[in-house]
Amino acid sequence: MSEAKDFNHTTAPDWCPGCGDFGLLAGLKKALPGIPLEPHQLMVVSGIGCSSNLPGFVNTYGMHTLHGRALPIAQGFKLANHKMTVLAVGGDGDGYGIGMGHLVHAMRRNIDMTYLIMNNSIYGLTTGQTSPTSGFKMKTKSTPFGNPEVPINPLTLAMGAGCSFVARAYTGHVTQLVEIIQKAIRHQGFSLVDTFSPCVTFNKVNTHQFYKDHCKDINQEGHDTSDIYAAFRQATCEQYIATGIFYESERPCYESAEEETLREPLVNHKLGLSEAQQAELMAEFV
Amino acid sequence: MNQSKEKRNVVVRIAGAAGDGIASAGEIFGKICARQGLHIMAYNSYQSAIRGGHVWLQLNVGACDTLTHGEKPDVVILLNRTSPSVHIPDVKEGGVVFYNSSLITQDLFKMREDLTYYHFPFRELVTDPGVTAVMANIMLVGCLVEVLGLNPQVGLDFIQDRFDKKGKEVVDLNRRVFQLGIDWSKKHAKRLNVSLKGDGKRRMFLTGNHAFAMGLLAHGLKFYCAYPMSPSTGVLHYLATKAKSHKIVVKQAEDELAVVNFIIGAAHAGVRAACATSGGGFALMTEGIGLAGMLEEPIVVISVQRGGPSTGIPTKHEQGDLNQMLGAAHGEFARIVLAPKDVEDAFHISGRALNLAEKYQTPVLILSDLFLSEHFETAEPFKVKQPIDRGKLISKAAGDYKRFLITDDFVSPRLIPGAPGLMYCSPSDEHDEKGIVTSDVLAGLPESRELRNRLHLKRMKKLDRIRQEDMRPPELLGPRDADLTLMGWGSTHDAIKEACEFFAQEGLKVNQLHFTDLFPLPIEKTIEILNSCKEIVAVENNLTGQMARLIRMETGYHVKRVVSRYDGEPFTGEDIYHRVKKELAYV
Repeated sequence: MSEAKDFNHTTAPDWCPGCGDFGLLAGLKKALPGIPLEPHQLMVVSGIGCSSNLPGFVNTYGMHTLHGRALPIAQGFKLANHKMTVLAVGGDGDGYGIGMGHLVHAMRRNIDMTYLIMNNSIYGLTTGQTSPTSGFKMKTKSTPFGNPEVPINPLTLAMGAGCSFVARAYTGHVTQLVEIIQKAIRHQGFSLVDTFSPCVTFNKVNTHQFYKDHCKDINQEGHDTSDIYAAFRQATCEQYIATGIFYESERPCYESAEEETLREPLVNHKLGLSEAQQAELMAEFV
Repeated sequence: MNQSKEKRNVVVRIAGAAGDGIASAGEIFGKICARQGLHIMAYNSYQSAIRGGHVWLQLNVGACDTLTHGEKPDVVILLNRTSPSVHIPDVKEGGVVFYNSSLITQDLFKMREDLTYYHFPFRELVTDPGVTAVMANIMLVGCLVEVLGLNPQVGLDFIQDRFDKKGKEVVDLNRRVFQLGIDWSKKHAKRLNVSLKGDGKRRMFLTGNHAFAMGLLAHGLKFYCAYPMSPSTGVLHYLATKAKSHKIVVKQAEDELAVVNFIIGAAHAGVRAACATSGGGFALMTEGIGLAGMLEEPIVVISVQRGGPSTGIPTKHEQGDLNQMLGAAHGEFARIVLAPKDVEDAFHISGRALNLAEKYQTPVLILSDLFLSEHFETAEPFKVKQPIDRGKLISKAAGDYKRFLITDDFVSPRLIPGAPGLMYCSPSDEHDEKGIVTSDVLAGLPESRELRNRLHLKRMKKLDRIRQEDMRPPELLGPRDADLTLMGWGSTHDAIKEACEFFAQEGLKVNQLHFTDLFPLPIEKTIEILNSCKEIVAVENNLTGQMARLIRMETGYHVKRVVSRYDGEPFTGEDIYHRVKKELAYV
């Protein structure tokens, strides 16, 4: 049985003091032993951005890849070795901006993996430009007169795209976060967990205090996670910021369509064809 | 040119509307020939439209090796009203024209009096109500089999094998339709004066894309990913049909950005992974190619060139993407670029690429083109020549595992993720031997600069090994003391060979210098061979002579003359012969 400390890495995170990503990292380490998972059973794949440095700070297998491409890499990995648990992690720019095309397809595809987004509504590593989740009229370095675009709502988007597990948490509420991460990983299919992970340096609007004041756990209030319409209502609620698990569906994951091929992980298959198999392939062209 | 010997090959062209089933008739006819031990090269000329375009298929059928699809047809079969004006002018003097008299009226043919015309009311001949238009093309095949003097029984047997799964009724119907073509020809047409006796070997009749796909499959491919793009899609189609029976995963992804990264993920997990695309899709993959270079992941990417830039001429041929292969992605990393010379080579190079990718843990790019990937030709059944070699792939290691360990041969043991206690992270940032990022808080510090030097050098030093151990020098074929050398790369091999034969028939000494291993070039050996040539003319399906430029860049040798073709059509030997003559003003 693993413990949270088994997931500690020798490299200390290089995030700014107070960064919301610390909360996610702590929550993740705390969540993993309870699944249960050992460090070697996990592959964590990230893109580029402050939060995408996370694989370097957690003692598991990891890949720190290209901006926006964590999902295709994670999915390719998963199909090649589906016995490992695969997490993709990254920021809102990575997932909802440059990588959005992949996200929509990953959600409808429903490969069994979890995507944790540390959403700070700003581009932090590039020092504070508008992001796909920056609020309407929000002033940033690239929108000094206010953001002219309305933000993406990741939850309604996910439900519209057929995501089979949709959740949101604030990284400062660790108990709820841990529970959501565990359920997301246990869910068989693609799980999207959008987390509010405040940028203390460049975002003065979406602060820790802001989320502490406005977040409300809908799972405490009897929300029915199988009711997608109720989930849409919560995801678009303007009286408070809903957090928790919004929607879960048990539709079959992608791997079930490859049941025969994936009886054993691809990586364990014996390679090469016998002469008879080669001859059979050639015979089709005669 | 040389017509004195007995004629042992014939060039047939079938033309009609897109959707007429010309390609399928051609394939059936080709396989019937291939089963009799004949050689065939077939090139399909088509457009980016599913119906409504005008398409034609040219087949060069021979009792001897047919190197190209031929220049001018001996026989043309015209199925629609557009065909006569397009193709009649191309027919060889004294050639034969079969035309679909259900659609084409005879007065269209006043332009050539040297040709023999047969009106072939082939839709009307078929009265069977179960016969579709496409099926009626089987009759066309019967007609050809008869006028070329081929063995009809081979055709009947082929139909049996082809339609066996659909039941006896379908077999019998197709056989009747085939027989109608034979009977009609016997009654109305004259046999051509050509000797097409095969050598008895049953050959395959297949495309380069088939060979790539089969080559990957036969050499341990486990994960294939693609986004549809002509002319590479044939690889996807073939592998998709084999996915279940051969237990591989074939994934169509949302775009090429996803495709290349899917295979990087799969390769990282420890399986053999590949993808194919064309120039535009490859352009989208370039960032991923660089990632594979940095993470030292073994991936194989096949890029099938078509006429560019941008959408260009998507159903036409070009060799315009060599520069793109060499320059793909920012920064410096080791890459290998290979360009197979023919269909058989496509099979073997796929296996070689998978081995090289794992030996050096770096991306291998296979450069094909529309002609190679899509034309059909006969080939004897392939046999795997190179055993699967996974290089330094390991599943366990000692406690202090370093994924990017600097070794004497610059390749680090590559651990399959999943082993207890050996966790590591592969970062696209510069990193140390363990994979710890050195580019963030440590960037610019002396220790970090030193690490950068060591790791960058480790990755780049692979190129020297590849050059020395694995890259094959260009082949010099033909007389050593030739006065002229025609230089080419990739799929032009056979056309250039054919051109050399035309020169030889005139008593001119011309040889051929051919590259299949394009990068990194084995420099010394290449210079030696270049220096042994008297005068070199580059023959390339592009305007700027991209291979000549690469050679000059790598060796300093300046090939000054380039015979270019960039109208979208592949070379034939005859075409090269005339172009080279014009370039050198020999005649």
